[in-house]
Amino acid sequence: MDRNQISKWLKNPAKMANKYSFHVVYFCTGCGIIEIPPSITTRWDAERFGIIPVATPRQANLFLITGYVSTKTLKAIIRTYEQMPEPKYTVAFGSCPINGGMYYDSYNTIKSLDKFIPVDGYIAGCMPRPEAIFIGVTHLWKLIDMDKADGYKRYREDYEFYRENQEQLFGELDWPPLFQNKES
Amino acid sequence: MEKLKKNILANFRDIEIYTRQDNRIFINTKKETVLSLLSYLKNTGYDHLALVSCNDWIDDGEFELVYILSVYMEKDEEYQGKEKTNIIIKTRIVREEAKFITVIDIFENAEPYERELHEMFGIKFEGHPRLTTLFLELEYEIPPFRKDFDTDKYVENKYGQIPTIKERKSNKRNERT
Repeated sequence: MDRNQISKWLKNPAKMANKYSFHVVYFCTGCGIIEIPPSITTRWDAERFGIIPVATPRQANLFLITGYVSTKTLKAIIRTYEQMPEPKYTVAFGSCPINGGMYYDSYNTIKSLDKFIPVDGYIAGCMPRPEAIFIGVTHLWKLIDMDKADGYKRYREDYEFYRENQEQLFGELDWPPLFQNKES
Repeated sequence: MEKLKKNILANFRDIEIYTRQDNRIFINTKKETVLSLLSYLKNTGYDHLALVSCNDWIDDGEFELVYILSVYMEKDEEYQGKEKTNIIIKTRIVREEAKFITVIDIFENAEPYERELHEMFGIKFEGHPRLTTLFLELEYEIPPFRKDFDTDKYVENKYGQIPTIKERKSNKRNERT
C-alpha cells in the first residue's frame, strides 16, 4: 500500500476501497468493445488498477459505454444503469457519445448521451487505446477523491428531467420511474 | 455457364442476360417472372438465396429488387472444381404504394431480408407471415433508407429538440417565477 495514502484511508476507508475496486459492466455497443479483451487480459492486465469485469449490473459500480449508442441500445443502457447499486460511475468512450461523432447525421443514433444518463467522464480517441482507458480510470480516481464524480447524485437529484428527456425520445417508457418525483 | 444462359433464355421470355465479371450472371426481368425464375434456378442447383436487396431509383419512381443466388458446389457436378457462380436477378416495382409478393415459399431464409426491406424501404410483401420491425426502435414517417428521407432535417427535429438537463432546469425555474 502506498504510504502517502494512509491518511486518506483513515479518513474515508469506504471511499478508498470503492475507488480501488472497480467492478465493471461493459456495454458492448459500437467498436470500443474490441479494445476490452486485450485490456482485461494479460497484455494490459486491467487488474493492476483494480478493474475486474463482472457478469451483471447488480454487482458493478463502473459502467463503460464503448462507442456509439443507437436508440435501441439506449433503452437497455438506461435499464442497466438504473439497476446498478450506488455509488456508480459512468465512463463513455470515443467521440460518438459526446456529440454523435461520425454518426452526426444518423437517423438512429443518439447524439449526446448525457442528455439521458449522467456521464462522469469521457475518454477521447476513436477508439481509445487500452493505455487511454487506464489514464481515464486514474483520472476518475482523482475525481472521486475530490467528490466530483457525482453522476449518480445528479441522477437522483434531476431524475425528473432525465426521465422527461427519455420520454421525449421514446414516447411512453414501459418501466416505472426509479425515484419518486420530489415535491415541488 | 454458357449452357445455363442458353437454358434460361430458352425457358423464359422478356429477360435480359449479361455478365459483367467472370462469375456473375445478371438477369433483368419483369416482376411477373421473378417467382418462376427463382423456382427454376432452385431446381437447377442454385439453392442458396444469399441476399435480397433493394435500390431506390427515385427519378424513375421505381424500386429495384435484387435477388442474389449462389450455389453450394458439392451438390452440383457441373460446377465442381470451378469458380463459384452467382446469379443476380433484378426486377423493378412501382415506388408509390410499393408491394411485391413474398418468396418465402421458395426460399425460407428470405424472411428476415423481406422484413428488413419492409422496415427500411416500406415495401409490403404480400403473404409474409410477420412484417414487424426488425432493427429499429422508433417509428418513422418515411422509411429511413428511401432517398427522400432527409437525415439532416430528421436529426435536427428529433435529437436536436431534446434539451440538455441544464436547459430543462432553467426552463423550470423560469416557469416558477
